[in-house]
Amino acid sequence: MKVVYDVTTKRELRQTHRVATILHKKEVPFKFVTVDLATGQHKAPVYLEKQPFGRIPYIDDHGFILYESRAISLYIAEKYGEQGALLIPKDANDKALFEQAASIETANFDGFAGNAVTEKIFKPAFTGAKPDEVFFETQITELRKRLDVYKKILSKQKYLAGNEVNLADLFYLPYASLLPQMGSQVIEERPNVARWVDNLKSRPSWQAVKQGITSTA
Amino acid sequence: MVLTLYGYPLATCTQRVATVLHEKQVPFKFVNVNLATGEHKAPAYLEKQPFGQVPYIDDDGFVLYESRAISRYIAEKYDSQGALLIPKDAKDKALFEQAASIETANFDGFASKAVSEKIFKPAFTGAKPDEAFFETQITELGKKLDVYEKILSKQKYLAGNEVTLADLFHLPYASMLPQTGSKVIEERPNVARWVDDLKSRTSWQAVQQGITSTA
Repeated sequence: MKVVYDVTTKRELRQTHRVATILHKKEVPFKFVTVDLATGQHKAPVYLEKQPFGRIPYIDDHGFILYESRAISLYIAEKYGEQGALLIPKDANDKALFEQAASIETANFDGFAGNAVTEKIFKPAFTGAKPDEVFFETQITELRKRLDVYKKILSKQKYLAGNEVNLADLFYLPYASLLPQMGSQVIEERPNVARWVDNLKSRPSWQAVKQGITSTA
Repeated sequence: MVLTLYGYPLATCTQRVATVLHEKQVPFKFVNVNLATGEHKAPAYLEKQPFGQVPYIDDDGFVLYESRAISRYIAEKYDSQGALLIPKDAKDKALFEQAASIETANFDGFASKAVSEKIFKPAFTGAKPDEAFFETQITELGKKLDVYEKILSKQKYLAGNEVTLADLFHLPYASMLPQTGSKVIEERPNVARWVDDLKSRTSWQAVQQGITSTA
């Protein structure tokens, strides 16, 4: 089954990688279409018809349009539940712990890591402006405090929701992989967190997308 | 053993969970956590909620935190009673997840920072709000709500024509925005209609009276 997948190009942004990783993990063939951010294609009226917030990515699955990278990932994980890794637990309590882990990611990691990455990497790349180092450091400081809690959680179990990997762990990959590039050691300074990130980065699904995303159908 | 909610009645995330407990008609015991004395930062509390935040639940020994995760757990466990807050059909469910993601990505960050700056910071610390910071949050929120305005011109709720958890997740901060003096909701008729509809639900009305044990 083909999944036509409209996504971003050139400086392939991280939300796109989140979805591509899951497509690979669930062995779902997809077509990849680039959206030219540099020319503002994502803000044009025809694009806004599909993704009204003017963000990337979105998918088109036989006419069904969906945006928000985590929602797309959940849709794929549920639709192809029987193939590839089981990424959403079936047991009610395990599922609740998965939801807890997924919520922790948006509440405690994504905002600070995303701001740090945007300030240090994307802002210079897209606008040529210099990073605001003070702002960058405040984000890293906040991230450090949260990662100290992750350190405790990951000292007792292998992954964020228990001892099996799931979608909530994979959601971290894009920004977690960029932090070292910014000169930040926040992950390396915490051995349990570093172990967990290295484990996620070693997966073939991440290896397949980290250099760039291409159609597999 | 009855489900126990540990939290603070005026805390937005505690209200989020209490609303869903009322929606699903789930009896619960409420235990107040004394934020003023730092009870939520004490070692015994951190054993249950390692980030030192409210709320968490203890459902017959099963401990869970993160208000949206708790809400989902309740909605799924009690799916056959009260409103169906998480759709069953695969595509409807995907649109619900899209709406839930929209809330955390586009609403919660700006709304919570605006409300914290204008209401919680003076209340808890006595410090004056940073008006410039408040205005930037409201401006950004306004841009996102312009998109909500378009979405809600075509359908009754954020994921379609049935209410879902994603709509309810907005209630605590959406209901506090007018107290900040901001008209960011009122200025957008479809958004205002949608927020008024959610605020009129008996579950929210119950939580507004204060959170107390129902079992």
